[in-house]
Amino acid sequence: MNNLEKKNAIDLAKKLRKKILDLSFYAGSSSSHFGGALSSADIVASLFGEVMNFNKKNFKSSSRDRFILSKGHGCMVYYAVLNILGIIPDEKLKTFEKDSSDLLGHPVKNSEIGIDFSTGSLGMGLSLGIGLSLAFKRKEMKNRVFVLVGDGECNEGSIWESALCAPNLELNNLTVIIDHNNFQQTGSNDEIMSIKNLESKWSSFNWNTILVDGHDINKLTTALKSNNSNLPKAIIAKTIKGKGFSFSENNNDWHHKVMTNKTYQEAKEEISKND
Amino acid sequence: MSKEKYTSIFIETLAIEKSKFNENIKYNEIPEWDSIGHMTLMSGLEEGFGISLETDDIVDFSSYQKGIEILEKYKVSFK
Amino acid sequence: MTEINKKKIDLWSNIGSRATFGLAALELEKKIKELFVVTCDVSTSAGLDRFRKQVPHKYVDVGISEQNMIGVASGLSTEGFKVITTTFAPFQTLRCCEQIKVNQGYMKTKIVMVGLASGLVLGALGFTHCSIEEVGVLRSIPNLAIVSPADSLEVVKSLEAALNYESSVYIRLTGGSQSPIVNSEDYKFEIGKAIKLTDGDDVTIFSCGAMVHNSLEAALILKKNDISCRVVNMHTIKPVDVDSIKESAKFSKLIVTVEEHNIIGGLGSAISEELTKIKDSPKLLRIGINDKYNKGGSYTYLQKIYELLPEQISNKIIKNLT
Repeated sequence: MNNLEKKNAIDLAKKLRKKILDLSFYAGSSSSHFGGALSSADIVASLFGEVMNFNKKNFKSSSRDRFILSKGHGCMVYYAVLNILGIIPDEKLKTFEKDSSDLLGHPVKNSEIGIDFSTGSLGMGLSLGIGLSLAFKRKEMKNRVFVLVGDGECNEGSIWESALCAPNLELNNLTVIIDHNNFQQTGSNDEIMSIKNLESKWSSFNWNTILVDGHDINKLTTALKSNNSNLPKAIIAKTIKGKGFSFSENNNDWHHKVMTNKTYQEAKEEISKND
Repeated sequence: MSKEKYTSIFIETLAIEKSKFNENIKYNEIPEWDSIGHMTLMSGLEEGFGISLETDDIVDFSSYQKGIEILEKYKVSFK
Repeated sequence: MTEINKKKIDLWSNIGSRATFGLAALELEKKIKELFVVTCDVSTSAGLDRFRKQVPHKYVDVGISEQNMIGVASGLSTEGFKVITTTFAPFQTLRCCEQIKVNQGYMKTKIVMVGLASGLVLGALGFTHCSIEEVGVLRSIPNLAIVSPADSLEVVKSLEAALNYESSVYIRLTGGSQSPIVNSEDYKFEIGKAIKLTDGDDVTIFSCGAMVHNSLEAALILKKNDISCRVVNMHTIKPVDVDSIKESAKFSKLIVTVEEHNIIGGLGSAISEELTKIKDSPKLLRIGINDKYNKGGSYTYLQKIYELLPEQISNKIIKNLT
């Protein structure tokens, strides 16, 4: 990856975190899934900044790469990147979680704003990804499919049904990224349902598996771009839930919480100092 | 003649090309005689010979030759 | 669809609904090039062996993973494929119910789902393999039509209609091989349009699936008892044919529903929902499974236990008229 690309993705990650903060404030008393959006920010920056063929010009075209946010509660990072790409207008962001909004607490399918699937019920996105990848193979199209799942989401049996299926179908146009932030809703993975050794688990299901620092954009991009197998790819991205703000990092209170005005202002100050 | 009728039912119900047919064909050894083909064949034989085959005979009906033995039980004469 | 003639109708009746479905899918693939079939380790059971061998690039078996099957089918559908999924009815519906809700209901991603051996036909295997609940569950998911074909010819017609229908469709196959013929010649089939099979002034029986035949037999018994019966094949349970219900409500002394399903949630419930909108509507007698799992047994045995045989249906109707 060249220096210009690296700078672009890093910039994008910064912008994403700013937007996520704003969105959490717009949500008001509805509260929002702050922690899980932030842990995915660098992954999303790498995907949309450097890896995927997806932009404002082609987001409705059949040739675009596909992204499925299977961990749908991480939607703020998704809306943020679609906004930064110019696909979701600023005014719409302000309607986040408001009555009759197009932008709810989990993504709702809407081709006008670049959202392909309604996700949020955990465990379903990877199967959809398989369906897409299979369609592209059958139609001999070069599109790639990227599915972002959570580590808590890997409790769901349906994830493992998909995990078994994709290598059997040799879908090397499919990549799953596991945002491995070690937490789920009510506690750490270890407290709720320990799921160690994700790398060896996915590898044993015959995925081309890469373990990577989920906040190192350089390494993420290299891993996402690697392409030398007939098997689908699983990227285990070790991340920090709530990454980007001192009050939220590794603090599971921020799984889903109201962003008060006070915290919002403090957070804005914090990130402006880091600019 | 029963033998001719028997053969023509095979050819028609299994949709086998006449040139491909021979009296040594067996169930599941040709693509046409798969499980669906088998049911179609049984149906055709029942209608053609006015008989009602028992389940055991349908299951045992594994080849053209075996079929002759089975149908003889139902008083179909191949002589 | 290829020409429908007496020979074909007889063959399809002999081989039963499942094998007919498999043959029909293969026929339809010839004219619907985007057709794609996704199954869960059931090819032979669905009559799809030939499909699998002849058009392997249009067929994928995802193994015993029904939730995955729905997602895969939905992904394929968004890319322009016309997808049929199939496995045994309980697993095709209840096992992946939420996936159906989210993909077919909420996202309106169109697929056709075929539930094999629904109702009581696999009773010898126990109730894990029977399906007496799924219509009730699926009825409450928006954007999903539910069809239960009365005989093998109707399986063929409903499959083609479903592939061309505006929303997703669940097709509920009932009965075994040697399935009785209800429609002896080709006819016009439209999802949502009930078919009046016989006419009569006293009673209307609405039925669907394999119970249509039992209802017709019951009507013959009733005729001998001077009770004239209209029998309506309500093959589409959702959307139910409201006009047909309204018409019968005008003159029938009694309305009866007969289904191979719990009387809670299925056809009987759907019709009761409409009857409550009609002032002075006739009484409704719901005949079906009385919200109990019985010990298992043959198809005939279970129909007898649940009082679904023609003599039992007619007896119940006679009792309810006096």
